[in-house]
Amino acid sequence: MKINLDTEVLTDNNAAAKFNRDLFTKHKTLVVNLMSSPGAGKTTLLEKTIAALGKEYSIGVIEGDLATEKDADRIRALGAKAVQINTNGGCHLDARMIAKVIDEFDLEKTDILFIENVGNLVCPSGYDLGQNHKVAILSVPEGNDKIPKYPVMFRRTELVVLNKIDLLPYLDFDVDMAIEDLKGINPESKLIRLSSKTEEGLDEWLTWIKEAYRNLQEQ
Amino acid sequence: MHEMALRGDILQLVENDARSRNFKQVDKVELIVGDLSNAMPDALEMAFDVFRARGLGMLSEGAQLVIHKEAARSKCVICGHEYTPDRRLSICPECALPSGRLIAGETFKVQSYEGS
Repeated sequence: MKINLDTEVLTDNNAAAKFNRDLFTKHKTLVVNLMSSPGAGKTTLLEKTIAALGKEYSIGVIEGDLATEKDADRIRALGAKAVQINTNGGCHLDARMIAKVIDEFDLEKTDILFIENVGNLVCPSGYDLGQNHKVAILSVPEGNDKIPKYPVMFRRTELVVLNKIDLLPYLDFDVDMAIEDLKGINPESKLIRLSSKTEEGLDEWLTWIKEAYRNLQEQ
Repeated sequence: MHEMALRGDILQLVENDARSRNFKQVDKVELIVGDLSNAMPDALEMAFDVFRARGLGMLSEGAQLVIHKEAARSKCVICGHEYTPDRRLSICPECALPSGRLIAGETFKVQSYEGS
């Protein structure tokens, strides 16, 4: 007997994402899902962000990694609450993993929650975690061809942070080509150039976060 | 490779439905996998081979996996032209503007299964 299910494979994940989103919305917590290749600078950008905004906002971080507490320890060293999820080989975070650790945060007192996804430009892109915003970080040493090579990721993010721009003089990264490719794949996406190391462009990122937070509170 | 995790999601959908109908076995599972769904058909096949080899005693263990690929298609919101997208998939080849929107290629569904 043939049964027509006609059901999204990620139905369960999407239900868990809705559960998360309802909770975040109730507490007006801004949730940003940060995705990139390994080594693009997600944790360093978070360190700079917490150092700059930590007094004004209560910031929490969920760290996703295959193994170790190294990233969560870096965040805790700055006085922010961090919960580490170890996926034990899994290549992405899913909404159920987030749902399991939400209780560790006092959302009523958490203004901004960053989710640092597992370093990977493929798998995390398909999973809704219940976030308000999906942000991709692309770093100069990776090369400008990553945007057209990973179209699913860059189609589903609304902001690309181009990190490590202090290395542009030494590498063949074509910024104009990256912007054109991004426009061709996701016309609505913004791009911010910054260097976490020199802090050039960091203000633009901080302004984006503050605006996102303000917009959420006004909803 | 997240196809192992996706396999778990697929099996859960099929097994839950099959058990609710008191089926004793599932013979075939049909998926629709879009070019831009980020799921690789070959990796899904491999994930199911691994599952079969494990012998977990599930209803779907002997099921044949049939994957229908869905090609990516875009349509221009300005001129209405439909095209097969390339590198810059939002650029309409007629208008040369970022006015194309994907109309197919992102689907990732369990279409049907056969059980008894």
